[in-house]
Amino acid sequence: MSLNPLLPFLMAGDPSLEVLPGYLSEARALGIEALELGLPHSDPIADGPVLQAAAHRAIARGATPRRILESLAGITASPDLILFTYLNPLLQLGLEPLLRLLEPTPVRALLVVDLPEGEEPAFETALRAAGYPLVPLLAPTTGLARAQRLLEARPDPGPAAPFAQRFAYVVARLGVTGAGQATDLGPLTARLRDLRGITARPLAVGFGLSDPVSLQTVRDLGATPIIGSALVAELTSGSLIRTSLGARLPR
Amino acid sequence: MNDAFTLPTRFGTQGLGGCYAPETLMQPLLDLEAAFRAALEDPGFQAELKGELRHFVGRPTPLTPAPRLAAKLGLKALLLKREDLTHTGAHKINNALAQAILARRMGKTEIIAETGAGQHGVAAAAACARLGLRCTVYMGVTDMARQAPNVARMRLFGATVVPVEAGQGTLKEAVNEALRAWAGRCTEAHYILGSALGPHPFPTLVRTFQTVIGEEARAQALEQTSGLPEAVIACAGGGSNGLGLLVPFLGDPLRRLAVEAGGHGPALGEHAARLDGGRMGVLHGCKTLLLQDEHGHTAETASVSAGLDYPALGPELAALVLDGQVEVRRASDDEALAAARLLCQMEGILPALESSHALALLPSLAAEGVATVLLGLSGRGDKDLSTYQSRLEI
Ligand SMILES: Cc1ncc(COP(=O)(O)O)c(C=O)c1O
Repeated sequence: MSLNPLLPFLMAGDPSLEVLPGYLSEARALGIEALELGLPHSDPIADGPVLQAAAHRAIARGATPRRILESLAGITASPDLILFTYLNPLLQLGLEPLLRLLEPTPVRALLVVDLPEGEEPAFETALRAAGYPLVPLLAPTTGLARAQRLLEARPDPGPAAPFAQRFAYVVARLGVTGAGQATDLGPLTARLRDLRGITARPLAVGFGLSDPVSLQTVRDLGATPIIGSALVAELTSGSLIRTSLGARLPR
Repeated sequence: MNDAFTLPTRFGTQGLGGCYAPETLMQPLLDLEAAFRAALEDPGFQAELKGELRHFVGRPTPLTPAPRLAAKLGLKALLLKREDLTHTGAHKINNALAQAILARRMGKTEIIAETGAGQHGVAAAAACARLGLRCTVYMGVTDMARQAPNVARMRLFGATVVPVEAGQGTLKEAVNEALRAWAGRCTEAHYILGSALGPHPFPTLVRTFQTVIGEEARAQALEQTSGLPEAVIACAGGGSNGLGLLVPFLGDPLRRLAVEAGGHGPALGEHAARLDGGRMGVLHGCKTLLLQDEHGHTAETASVSAGLDYPALGPELAALVLDGQVEVRRASDDEALAAARLLCQMEGILPALESSHALALLPSLAAEGVATVLLGLSGRGDKDLSTYQSRLEI
């Protein structure tokens, strides 16, 4: 199994919905296999200042969940998308409309930040049955026994499935998303070794990663680095997605 | 390691509440529930809490008859449960102190709290000073301006008050920031949520520590008067003083009412009345009645009262409402202000703006033929003097 070298995060609607198809096709052209697409929420309790601001800009510009998903309809020049979202916008759309909106898009999985396994079992089961598994999250506070249970509850569909539907998200540190405070990757070595002891599925590591060196450190540990706030901040200040992603891909 | 909750996490026939928390907070929440259950069964904890409630908080608080106001409003009797007389001036101390004791038992060294009106922040800061815990309070900038005396009190008690600039700068944003801070410091810090809100076990924890209000009030009513009143009423922000007062009366044949902030108009964004204006949704870790737009984004709210200016009704109170055990009504800014002035003039008691919303409903209750009312006076109005001065032109 070759390692997916980078899992980028973008906030849908920031700077605008119009640029999104171009971003996605450029990411695809660079060989990006999967990409987390943030659905902006008014109260992103797990996000730091950069993604909060991006979400609020996107909402102010009219990037509603429905418009975002409609804008993705028919797009094929794109990495597989993981819809990164809070629960309430999905609940307000409702299951059936959500599934209809997802159907023509490149979305392959959902990461619902505030939906622990077991809180909405019918909703989660229906999504999985329709081809949209929920990504399991493993935090620094998640003990190994709990991690094992979470991985079983959101199982790996197996090697035939795309990365987007298989990986588990390993949260690199306590706190919220954001590159503001450097993440100490020291504890990660032991953590990934422990997790490797209980699962063979792909692991992606996120929260606070930004510079090429820390991304490579994660790769050297056999996991896919996630780049979110740092990428969003660069795009906001005018960087081209090709440049920002290219600089972070291994040569 | 505790890997499952033991207490019920849902309320009512529609299953409100729950634990919609980011994974980082799940183990801290599981640990909190375990510590809470252990404390409830520990006579040592119970004795310490009881002692502190008596000697530090000043419990039991009086149940004060208000005969002049009752006569003026056409009621036969009005009884005020005087949470305004607790140390720090509102019911918030009942919960803050109990949770601070719990946190110390858990070996935590720091307390994180959010605050709207500042009463919960002051209560948390006071409890922390008393117990020797570090305290950080998150408060929206709008609320810091309108409840300035409480900001000064928190700082005097040694707390760090962190201004929250985001959004409207009110309670919702303060809760967002407190949750984020807790996710970063959950190993050493306990988050004392100030109302019956948030992910399990917070709603149950807060309600448990607040029912002392209603237990006392019920016993006092039976002792001081010929029986129970016809109606029991409280204001409702998140719902902690409301549940605290009303839950002990759930088995009684009387009307139970909670009053929300009607703000300055009926449109979304002009009030904080979640029953009429809200739909089922998830915010801050629980499923409940929520003011939101069609996209699931939280709506703006408005109220002259910072403590009621919050878009979600606590899940247990919302469940009691939906299941027909509690009635929800609303009072406007102007009605609350007028009711505050009347209580001052008739009884010499200065109520908090929050509590004034409950007072504002008394004329309607009298008009509906209710003769005897027990009202939860959740806090005192010193913090609101500048609002009273400007809005009542005194
Ligand atoms: C005096 C007073 N009453 C009521 C409230 C509303 O909160 P809850 O509904 O949780 O009692 C507050 C909140 O700040 C308050 O300070």
